[in-house]
Amino acid sequence: MTQSNRLNQGGRIDRSRRLSFTFNGQQYTGFAGDTLASALLANGVDIVNRSFKYSRPRGITAAGPEEPNAIVQLGATEAAQVPNVRATQQALYDGLVARGTNGWPNVQRDVMSWVGKLGGSFMPPGFYYKTFMAPASMWMTYEKFIRKGAGLGRAPTEADPDIYDHFNQHCDVLVIGAGPAGLAAALSAARAGARVILCDEQEEMGGSLLDSRESIDGEPASAWAEQAVAELGGLANVTLLPRTTANGYHDHNFVTLHERRTEHLADTAAGAGREGEVRARLHRVRAGRVVLASGSHERPLVYANNDVPGNLVAGAVSVYIRRYGVVPGQRLVLSTNNDHAYRAALDWQEAGREVVAVVDSRAKPDGDLVKQARDAGIRVITGSAVMEATGSQRVSGAKVVAIDTERFVVTGKVETLECDTIASSGGYSPVVHLASHTGKRPQWRDDLLGFVPGEVKGMHFAGGVHGVYALGETLTDGADVGAEAARAAGFEEAAAIAVPEVAVRQESPTSALYQIPHEKPPLRAPKQFVDLQNDVTAAAVELATREGFESIEHVKRYTALGFGTDQGKLGNINGMAIAARCLNRSIPEVGTTVFRPNYTPVSFGAIVGRHCRDLFDPERYTALHQWHVENGAEFEDVGQWKRPWYFPRRVNGKLETMHEAVARECLAVRRGVGILDASTLGKIDIQGPDAREFLGRVYTNKWAKLAPGRVRYGLMCKDDGMLMDDGTTSCLAENHFLMTTTTGGAAGVLEWLELWHQTEWPELQVYFNSVTDHWATMTVTGPDARKLMSEVTDIDLDREQFKFMDWKEGKVAGVPARVFRISFTGELAFEINVQANYAMHVWKALFAHGEKYDLTPYGTETMHVLRAEKGLIIAGQDTDGSVTPEDLGMHWAVGYDKPFSWIGQRALTRPDTAREDRKQLVGLKPKDPKVVLEEGAQIVLDPEQKIPMTMMGHVTSSYYSPVLESGFALAVLKGGRNRMGETVYLPMSDGSVHQAEVVSTVFIDPKGERQNV
Amino acid sequence: MSEARSEASVGNAATFDTHPGADAGVTPESPLQWSRVQGRVTEEGGAAEQIRVVERPFLGHLVLRGGAITLDEAVRAELGVSLPGKPLGLVLDAEGSRSVQWVSPDEWLVIVPAGEEFELENRLRARLGDAHFAIVNVGGGQTLLELSGEKARELLMKSVTYDVHEHGLPVGKAVGTVFAKTSVVLRRPSEERFELVVRRSFADYCVRWLRDAGREYGLRVESASP
Repeated sequence: MTQSNRLNQGGRIDRSRRLSFTFNGQQYTGFAGDTLASALLANGVDIVNRSFKYSRPRGITAAGPEEPNAIVQLGATEAAQVPNVRATQQALYDGLVARGTNGWPNVQRDVMSWVGKLGGSFMPPGFYYKTFMAPASMWMTYEKFIRKGAGLGRAPTEADPDIYDHFNQHCDVLVIGAGPAGLAAALSAARAGARVILCDEQEEMGGSLLDSRESIDGEPASAWAEQAVAELGGLANVTLLPRTTANGYHDHNFVTLHERRTEHLADTAAGAGREGEVRARLHRVRAGRVVLASGSHERPLVYANNDVPGNLVAGAVSVYIRRYGVVPGQRLVLSTNNDHAYRAALDWQEAGREVVAVVDSRAKPDGDLVKQARDAGIRVITGSAVMEATGSQRVSGAKVVAIDTERFVVTGKVETLECDTIASSGGYSPVVHLASHTGKRPQWRDDLLGFVPGEVKGMHFAGGVHGVYALGETLTDGADVGAEAARAAGFEEAAAIAVPEVAVRQESPTSALYQIPHEKPPLRAPKQFVDLQNDVTAAAVELATREGFESIEHVKRYTALGFGTDQGKLGNINGMAIAARCLNRSIPEVGTTVFRPNYTPVSFGAIVGRHCRDLFDPERYTALHQWHVENGAEFEDVGQWKRPWYFPRRVNGKLETMHEAVARECLAVRRGVGILDASTLGKIDIQGPDAREFLGRVYTNKWAKLAPGRVRYGLMCKDDGMLMDDGTTSCLAENHFLMTTTTGGAAGVLEWLELWHQTEWPELQVYFNSVTDHWATMTVTGPDARKLMSEVTDIDLDREQFKFMDWKEGKVAGVPARVFRISFTGELAFEINVQANYAMHVWKALFAHGEKYDLTPYGTETMHVLRAEKGLIIAGQDTDGSVTPEDLGMHWAVGYDKPFSWIGQRALTRPDTAREDRKQLVGLKPKDPKVVLEEGAQIVLDPEQKIPMTMMGHVTSSYYSPVLESGFALAVLKGGRNRMGETVYLPMSDGSVHQAEVVSTVFIDPKGERQNV
Repeated sequence: MSEARSEASVGNAATFDTHPGADAGVTPESPLQWSRVQGRVTEEGGAAEQIRVVERPFLGHLVLRGGAITLDEAVRAELGVSLPGKPLGLVLDAEGSRSVQWVSPDEWLVIVPAGEEFELENRLRARLGDAHFAIVNVGGGQTLLELSGEKARELLMKSVTYDVHEHGLPVGKAVGTVFAKTSVVLRRPSEERFELVVRRSFADYCVRWLRDAGREYGLRVESASP
């Protein structure tokens, strides 16, 4: 294919670098500097997509992020697929492969188009809701086909080969948009010494200067842009971010920028020869001040068949001609309500193509550009507009008619002009999106016929975004606002740069015009599209108002206006204007619309950054992790910790199952000696003269008399009297304690202590510090524990000298240690704390000496079984925030008569917490010893009762006990303690019903003799 | 019960020398031991990269709690430096090997050469007497990473949310900040380098993050031998 629409000269492309690309399976060539859209237009590709609802052929309409039609799927390989790319924003690179996202099987011959043709009049707004929602169960089936037909692109099925990341940026002034206003603002702020970030979404900075017909200081406007960018690039306090879209504006001037770093070069970074570099980067910017210089988007006019390929917004025509050397047709008709759009006709004619006519809705336009067009011999038809485009695959003509905008009627005879391109302009809409992301509503200005941003704290507006359109004024405004922003950021000396000279152009006022009246009533006329991406027509908006939708927010939701990925950048204002006309109200009365992040779609990769794969979440390791890995541990995630779950051994060449390994580990602890890495337990160092008093207030039990050298188990309740955490606390010295918490509760408990200390009892002299990571903890437990310990420690282990719930200091394997006689297994146990850097030495020494006792490492699963056999709870497993100490049968750990109130005391004296029918912790013994009840299984008393059955409680912990040779469980059961010996039933989802006897929570050694030896 | 009390107890708090002593033949393992086994950390030295991360393992880390007025004189007498005068301040002694960092209005982090911390704690406790304060040895629970190289700042921008520009983090400043999905203490002791104090259990995650984030610049993580 030849580039039939390419001019021989002009534009900012490099004709010496020819690039080949594939679109919808067809090969084309373009030049370096092209966008995919400009290259497609250069090659005369009219149809790039099928429309969403009616499957109508669609062509390129705009030249920027507002493009509603040219949404493509990018990627030569499966792994490189990127959906939702706007061809107008995608730089062309060699080997680019893209296809339209709509159209099945292809855009030229589309299966769904019969739906559009046949169904056109049968598909009013709400069509999908009304037609496909019933029966609800079928929606998934309908949706699959609707999606295939409509399509919005698809996610790749293979892993993305590229990497992405985040950058945390901070600056004094963030300037968004590098057009005339943004460049001037950045220069003012940068010369004042402020740290400036200037971002712009295009391949090249300069914005409208790059396609302007105007001169700055007698030079082309683009030359001034180049100089400005060069100066900014040379300043150390300026960061230039081209190809970077400011996508989200969040509270406190936190702005997210999406930078595309290799996407303009190839499918993947590696493909661009930049292996290992990031494809896209999300900048998380904390800006002192934000200057929004996002300019404006030109609004198209709404007329019949305005979606046929060959209908463009006027400014896009100029952009394609002046920046890319592409004229997207042969014969142009321009329909406008303003002066500025005339440049499209002038550019077109200067490119050597025919301008059939300019159709101006105003009666007597006489601005400089109008005169220029007339002088150039262009026919100007006034008081008229293009009412309808003819043609189906491409525009073949324009029906032009005189109109009365006040009465919204056509007033003359229709004249049909032969042409292949219709450019339209209905005025300009400031790009207010970012200014409304935090909820500020834009304000309508009648003089501008557009919305300008509402006031946003910390944000300044420069140029077109607040309605300053003329080039000279824009530069002055930018320079002033940049200096103002720098001053606000603390650079008090900041002054506006001297602005170069721009000739002032006389313009005649723009007339208010959105929808063009048709000779037929709107509902019978050919479709007049308001929102091209979502196929919303003027008739649909009108119908919505007739059906009672009066607020624009409701009209939008009913018609889907503005709900495409383009967020209605072209269509929203026109839609509002049409609703306003139908309701006989003004546009601001109908309501404004707010935009939400993101401004344009952001790839998931950029959002995820490096937080993926093995960096998705931190993994916390204990000091003994290496040993666990080397000894074949299976790991369990406990919070972010990796804890050994169990240690399967190879027996007769076969690796044990979890069940086998856990049974072996349990028996080893009950009969010999086992060892657990308990380092993950939360540990809090508490010092101060009031430490003891503080403990008495946060624990339910008493601490006044705990002597140094002793350890006590404590329960901690929230103020509602429900158990929150438990653990042991040791008295290290009169004013010094070491508290342990559950692994998962560590951070929460420390915060809890600080909260009460800082807000309720600041008079208590006490300090809390986390020492969780400082100490490694190893539990040696089982009947042989003392024998093993005696070989490695100088501590006197005599049972009279070192009693249960004592702690002592000494050396273990030569390393200073604190050893605690506390037990979570019910067996004789020594919990050894050493500084974590020495843990591996001690652990290995224990194994060296433990070999003769068959010292068995065990993991969390065995720990659970052993503690449950003893009826020892795990906070968070056997409790769920609705369980009191009393419910757990732990009234012995509640000191109701403590002199000072403690957290939970009041709640625990309420009648509700004293009810006898509260769910209480009990043991359950299945009648069939082979059964291990499911945790979470519901308990009922009458298995014959019809559903809904009366549920009496549920299983909280359940295991198989190799000692009992039976399954066993802990459960909470209404009035459970009075039901000892009763039989309860546990209906399962498969229809079976288990039976179990209610028993004590302590299954082994009820007197607690084994741990006390 | 008094016989169960630590010999080393000073006043009403229990102090504890965690070190076995040089003659005990005990080899410590730093929090980066597993990273080293996994090949993520190499011995100190080697060809220059754009970013160098060096672990300074086994240093003495003490948390000091108490009012500035209470602590300042004792710290000056024992360490030869005053407490940082301003929030987020970091001061080093003349040798640059001992530092005191402001952590919160009543909290300071003291880092001293390996093995000095127990003696220092005892001397501080003796000087502070009956005042209300706390000293907590946390040396086993955290380690220090030094970052240097021309791209160190970019690496930090990818990792921490704090402003690491000269304006935000000048020499002599230290902050707690979000680091990827954990938190670290970030310090600027000198023009040439940054320091990260990372928690033991998160140390491998931090190293993996730094290696991944630094890949495009070239980065090596090293650790001094024990």
